[in-house]
Amino acid sequence: MTEFSNYKIAVSAIGPLILLAIVIAFLMGPATNFLEFGIVLPDIHIEQIDFVDGEIQVIVRNTGPIDVNITVADVNDRIQPAAIEPDNHLTKFETALVRIPYDWNEGQPYSIGLTTDDGTRFEKFVDAASLRLEVNTELIGFLGLIGFLIGIVPIMIGLLWFSFIQKLGSSKYRFFLAFTVGLLLFLAFDAIEEASEISQSHLSDIFNGQLLIMTVTILSFLILFSIGNSLIKKSQFSKISKPLAISLMIAVGIGFHNFGEGLAVGAAIALGQVALSTFLIIGFAIHNTTEGFAIAAPMARTKAMVLRLICLGLIAGSPAIFGTWIGGFSYSPFTTVIFLSIGAGAIFQVVVSIIQYIREESENTISSASIISGIGLGLVVMYLTSIFV
Amino acid sequence: MFMILLIVASISTLYFVIPAVSDAAEEPKTFLTHTGLAIQTTGDIIDPIGYTGEILEFDPESYLRDFDYGTVSELEDGTILREFTITARDDQVMEVSPGVFYNVWTFNGTVPGPTIRATEGDLVRVHFSNEGSKSHTMHFHGIHKAEMDGVFENVGPGGKFIYEFYAEPVGLHLYHCHVHPVEEHIAHGLYGAYIVDPKEGRVQADELVFILNGLDTDFDGENNFYGANTVPFYYQHHPVEISTNELIRAYVVNILEFDPVNNFHLHGTLFHHYPAGTDTVPAGFNDMLTMSQGEREILEFEYKYPGLYMFHAHNTEFSEKGWVGSFLVKDSEKNYSDET
Repeated sequence: MTEFSNYKIAVSAIGPLILLAIVIAFLMGPATNFLEFGIVLPDIHIEQIDFVDGEIQVIVRNTGPIDVNITVADVNDRIQPAAIEPDNHLTKFETALVRIPYDWNEGQPYSIGLTTDDGTRFEKFVDAASLRLEVNTELIGFLGLIGFLIGIVPIMIGLLWFSFIQKLGSSKYRFFLAFTVGLLLFLAFDAIEEASEISQSHLSDIFNGQLLIMTVTILSFLILFSIGNSLIKKSQFSKISKPLAISLMIAVGIGFHNFGEGLAVGAAIALGQVALSTFLIIGFAIHNTTEGFAIAAPMARTKAMVLRLICLGLIAGSPAIFGTWIGGFSYSPFTTVIFLSIGAGAIFQVVVSIIQYIREESENTISSASIISGIGLGLVVMYLTSIFV
Repeated sequence: MFMILLIVASISTLYFVIPAVSDAAEEPKTFLTHTGLAIQTTGDIIDPIGYTGEILEFDPESYLRDFDYGTVSELEDGTILREFTITARDDQVMEVSPGVFYNVWTFNGTVPGPTIRATEGDLVRVHFSNEGSKSHTMHFHGIHKAEMDGVFENVGPGGKFIYEFYAEPVGLHLYHCHVHPVEEHIAHGLYGAYIVDPKEGRVQADELVFILNGLDTDFDGENNFYGANTVPFYYQHHPVEISTNELIRAYVVNILEFDPVNNFHLHGTLFHHYPAGTDTVPAGFNDMLTMSQGEREILEFEYKYPGLYMFHAHNTEFSEKGWVGSFLVKDSEKNYSDET
């Protein structure tokens, strides 16, 4: 009897899918000609422009509904002889590498254009040309140092607030927990904003950037929420205390965030879009110190264990180093958007965990003045420090 | 179930992220850059400048020295009658630059249309028929009656019209469609040269026609390509062969749209130029000529030394988008001694 009903359930689940497949087959087969009306325009998207020695390299993707041929390449709207690999015919979604021999000048802006077989020119601007980074030990060291400075150093400094938070009374402690919530909320929106900026300027429309960010953020939230819950549940039966579990989740969330941030910073260096000034590093340092605080806060009711704190700091901070490496050497706007979104989802999850923790700490009310002012102040502090970045 | 959906979703996402890759060519090809560097590629070469492929549908080589004198007969009073048959179309899609296809509007199937040539005082009769989907006309520059001006008498699709006028004055003129919006009709290719020779004729010369034009292939009101006789860079990869110490007479017409000024610069020698070809006294001796829209000049020059000489727009934007070519000047004496 149960087997029979399982069978029925399976049919009722798969049936509509089969019907849908038949409809699609019909539309793509016999009905193709019937549905061909209207004007079909080709569309290509220049995804990446690299400046190497004596050559400009362009990665182009066919983002339109029909196949296209690339027929002309130009630099600053002046036609140049070029090569296209593997070939000049691009099927739907296919990418190709266009190599334009050109004696380009460092730091100068360029517009790169490609013309399709119907004579339509597509172009992309580069603010300042700079040599594509090649992997070498010096550069690995340099990027690693940048990642270390913006990721690990400020978080470690922020963790030093641990003993200060430890000495607070419960009302003040709740205030600082709420302050952490404010910081994290800001960080999550910051990540979403950065992801949408990148998707707008670097991802072609077919990726539906905004929806991609929304989907990944929510998925990340849901998955980490279930992991976090089970971690916190387990903490009741094991040595891991609940505050530690929350701190760990915060560290992981911030780690994702810093990985995405590292990708973006590494890419900015590689693409020469940002003069990575001392000022910017200082800005990141101030901004990210608050992340250390956020990790330390929930743990303040437990015994100070230096090693634990350092481990959490590394979990949260070291992804920035890997991020700058990957972003610097092989930048992918798609990957960056994904990781920034995962980071945002992770941080939202952490925010929920901390709020639950505060409710338990404060006998199930979260409306006390100290909590509201804490969240508000957290947001304001983050906003002010963000101005430096 | 959730897992299955997730897997399907990720695989279909990968389809977008990691695109299909075509088979790469086995043997690397080589092409030259502007500065003479040889670049190798396993892929395709996209190079309208150093193009080595087959001749496109329209051949600027034969257009250069192709003059249409019409069907000649003599009227009772001794006047020479020249009859031309011109058909306008607007449905052709032509490969205007290697791989680039553009909807050209044409007189007798080409851009530019045929070079109509008559002698001063001849009666010119043009049997015009419009096989296009829009109204078209032929508006000739020169002296003629108002009803022969091709401006107010729009010839609709399938319509016919006979333009008739005496060829005057002597000079280099042009004709083009004058239907509104005129810019669109000209930009698509409805124009050609119209030459009126003096009765006594001109001095024997190697005569060439250069219609300076442009192509706005993506309709943004800016030319994507420039050229002399339509195909960008054509005379760059197929230099015009001429001889030393031989008079060259170039009929240069500027029919460029969207850009108010075009120019002509000659290397290695200077030319005498005659605005609209109406006077026998040259307006100057120069290697630069600046022309506004619709202006035309007759250029006369000789080369002293053999070799490869460029001619191009000195507005380098135009030259780097196609309005550039070369004269391959051969030594006339050497040829003579070779033959004897």
